[in-house]
Amino acid sequence: MAKVLEGPGMGLLSKWGMTVPHYVVITAADQLDRLAQANPWLRESKLVVKAHEAIGSRMKLGLVKVGLDLEAARKSAAEMLGRDLNGMTISQVIISEMIQHKEEFYLAVKSVREGAELLLASVGGIEVESNWDKIKRIAIPLGTDPSRDQLTKLAKEAGFKGDLAGKVADFALKLYQCYDQEDGTYIEINPLVTREADGELVALDAVTMVDADARFRHPDWNFTFASEFGRPYTNDERAIMEIDSRIKGSVKFIEIPGGDTALLPAGGGASVYYSDAVLALGGKIANYAEYSGDPPDWAVEALTEKVCSLKGIKRIIVGGAIANFTNVKKTFAGIINGFRKAKAEGKLEGVEIWVRRGGPFEKEGLAAMKALEAEGFNIHVYDRYTPLTDIIDYAIKGVEK
Amino acid sequence: MSIVANKETRVVIQGGPAGVNAARRMAEFCHLTRQPLHVLAFVFPPDAGKTAEVPFGSELVSIPIFKTMAEATAAFPALNTTLIFVGPDRAFKAAMEALADPKIKLVSMITEGVPEKDSKRLSLEAKKLGKVFNGPSAIGIISAGECRLGVIGGAFDNLILSKLHRPGSFGVITKSGGLSNEIIWICSQFADGITTAIGIGGDAYPGSDYVTYLEMFEKDPQTKAVIIVGEMGGDLEERAAEWFGAAKRRIKLIAVVSGYCQEQLPKGMKFGHAGAKEGQHGEGSARSKADALKKSGAIVPATFGGLGPTIKQVYEEIVAKGLVKPAVDGDAAALPKLPKPVEEAVKSGDVFVEPLIKSTISDDRGDEPLYYGYPASDLINKGYQIPHVMGLLWDKRLITPVEAEIVKRIIMLSADHGPCVSGALTTIIAACAGIQMAQSVAAGLIMIGPRFGGAVTDAGKWFKYAIEKKLSPEDFLEHMKKNVGPVPGIGHRVKSVKNPDKRVKELISFVKSTGIPTPHLDFALSVEKITTAKKDTLILNVDGTIAAVLVDLGWPVESLNGFFILARTIGLIGHWVDQTRNGSRLIRMFNYVVNYASPKRREAPPLEAKGTRVEVREEVLK
Repeated sequence: MAKVLEGPGMGLLSKWGMTVPHYVVITAADQLDRLAQANPWLRESKLVVKAHEAIGSRMKLGLVKVGLDLEAARKSAAEMLGRDLNGMTISQVIISEMIQHKEEFYLAVKSVREGAELLLASVGGIEVESNWDKIKRIAIPLGTDPSRDQLTKLAKEAGFKGDLAGKVADFALKLYQCYDQEDGTYIEINPLVTREADGELVALDAVTMVDADARFRHPDWNFTFASEFGRPYTNDERAIMEIDSRIKGSVKFIEIPGGDTALLPAGGGASVYYSDAVLALGGKIANYAEYSGDPPDWAVEALTEKVCSLKGIKRIIVGGAIANFTNVKKTFAGIINGFRKAKAEGKLEGVEIWVRRGGPFEKEGLAAMKALEAEGFNIHVYDRYTPLTDIIDYAIKGVEK
Repeated sequence: MSIVANKETRVVIQGGPAGVNAARRMAEFCHLTRQPLHVLAFVFPPDAGKTAEVPFGSELVSIPIFKTMAEATAAFPALNTTLIFVGPDRAFKAAMEALADPKIKLVSMITEGVPEKDSKRLSLEAKKLGKVFNGPSAIGIISAGECRLGVIGGAFDNLILSKLHRPGSFGVITKSGGLSNEIIWICSQFADGITTAIGIGGDAYPGSDYVTYLEMFEKDPQTKAVIIVGEMGGDLEERAAEWFGAAKRRIKLIAVVSGYCQEQLPKGMKFGHAGAKEGQHGEGSARSKADALKKSGAIVPATFGGLGPTIKQVYEEIVAKGLVKPAVDGDAAALPKLPKPVEEAVKSGDVFVEPLIKSTISDDRGDEPLYYGYPASDLINKGYQIPHVMGLLWDKRLITPVEAEIVKRIIMLSADHGPCVSGALTTIIAACAGIQMAQSVAAGLIMIGPRFGGAVTDAGKWFKYAIEKKLSPEDFLEHMKKNVGPVPGIGHRVKSVKNPDKRVKELISFVKSTGIPTPHLDFALSVEKITTAKKDTLILNVDGTIAAVLVDLGWPVESLNGFFILARTIGLIGHWVDQTRNGSRLIRMFNYVVNYASPKRREAPPLEAKGTRVEVREEVLK
């Protein structure tokens, strides 16, 4: 799953024939002047200005402004752009027309094992949160399209009357096509509204998630995916994502400020057990990280450098299960290089390193780690005979077997 | 006993290098369990018609590569299973092709990054056909003592350490590939090992889920308990719990779930596996999964660390009940060993290999070549020159600066002698025929012999002989006339006493100016005095002069022609580059410079069975 920001998300809905508000995405406030000449709606409508970034609670942070004229919109955009939020800069703003409407509805489609589920309610906006029971749904089996009759029936069940039921059914069918053809995983339109001016259905806001793995068959996806945890990616996270995208195997890195325990484990499965083990003992993790699939040593080295650069860490956990085919000697060589660089830069002052691993060339890899003791590292090395997460107990409780 | 993969499993692999690597791992398992090779074919269109080589014991087996699945199963009717390694953009098509083949019953996909929609469609298709689709992103399947599909189980040593050469009593189902090995290891340490372990992959919608395999394990009498290693996200663990709680089950279920950390982390944080994501409204959390499993009667240790002791307890219970006999492991040393590559065996001192060749001049095994022990960079940094390198490699000694200067002059004066000499001419003809540098230069070098440039060694040899035997110039010439023929190094086609070779004069005067003893050169010059008195052109030529000087300096006689070969290579390369740059056209001889001395044109006689050849010959002779 991958989140698409509002601009490109609206672009996808529009591509499949759904009406969306006019919008422009800008990176500098003065771009609005030229755009206003080309787009009459910017001069004629009331406008909404929003920070176009993956930031949660934009409303609370004052990053959403509504009911503005062009001049006020320009001012708001200028205020938002370049604003710094805990080290993350707002670099894009989306400006869209306000649509005068009375009723708000809810329409969504999500991927389930058997195909998809389409959800519809005749209430929308924040109303839907407190009226969850009003949502009507139908299952759409894999490889089939819902019929207009089916959708009209669903609309009627959801409380849509007369012509509107048919209109909603048509809109829902378009949404399903968009979901299906664009490898969607979850698309939620909330609210869906009827435009006061002409009674046309308009998708006012939407959450758009698509399957990042399907990118290879969508050459027109010219957008990058947004983070899904309420803040944009940091530079170090982006650097590792960039490496991850061009290597055999994988490296992953997400920062969690304020933690005391840095993670540098192998394997998508084991890494989560290590995170659990730290938190279960009252530790706080400083990051999530993982490498797997026998990645090249330089990629693991780059990951190690980022992990060593985390602020305020007391220990680094180089954990891992018994690898199937990841070469322990080679990947550890990358980690060791990363450690040496970090130490030379004075980054590992007072940091303990805890190692547990098995797999091809485990003896050589573990011996090389152990040899770091002689170079002045505070390092503790364990092999397969120590259970997976016991090093967390040793590291946090301070007791070794 | 086992599920899904057993001794009858025969495998085709769809994919390139990653597939071949897996086949090698699978061959190691077949070798360990003393079975024939399970992998029979590859399907990989880019290499169709070729074979892939897989070490099997001490042999190298060639496995055919086909373009289509239909071709593979037609050639090997025993095939019943495929492993897919092709890229995510081709994985769907490859799997559909495999599912469509009536022979293939199990499709296991290792490929990562396959779109969800594709997985879902494949899973549906497999269900319709009553086949098993495992994966994507699945590490593989292994049945102890029976069959290995993919790299699951890890390195050869790990197979033995984890008792994978013989069946145990525990089934394993995991999403994580790395943890599958860990659980297998734990089962072998805390109990009697596994029956079958399956990696189902960490995607959101795996083709087969826990329930698919729990049902099979329930029917496998050898399997007494199953361990599932779950993680947050999706509802597969809940489904497993539902299945387990729905009826009285023969097998015991042990489960761990990861992702408690989610409770303390930013919402929506993405972890290693695509499927490891909590739902929008808290469903699929680690806690709710663990609770559902506990409720269904499964044993759920609080942490991953609790798995070992739990497995041990369950094992002791089933042993106490008499359901299994405690495993008695034979001598691990009696198991087949993986033959070591020779290089490794030599390193560890396990074998002695009689060397094929001996080298006394250089060694390339370190980070740079050693010339008779001296690192090349060390020589360069200390100002040594090409003649010193020649001294080390040709005569195993560091020559003096004076000697180096003489050698340098010898090389310089022999580097080229224009385009007309036979060596250069041959190189030029070859260059004009469009032949590459190495071949053209080699063609020119082939011309070096008794009549062109190749008399240095022989000249040196005989001058040395004369000095050793203390012959006078007269006796020497007499000896040569009687036993050898013309004296090598004496005589020139164009040069003479009146038209001396300036190169020779310069070399001799320089050598003399250095004050080194020159008995051979002096001897050669006294021989020249006698020969030139007889005939003007019987001078000491450049070959003879070089030979005498080099023997005076102590170079071995065997190396002497090398000075000319080395020097003239410089010239030949120059001629090749020159002709090539000029874009010279093919050279053809002119017939007016050929003396055509063959018979005139005539009619061939009719071919007869006997005697024809003799008659013709006689006629020619007339």
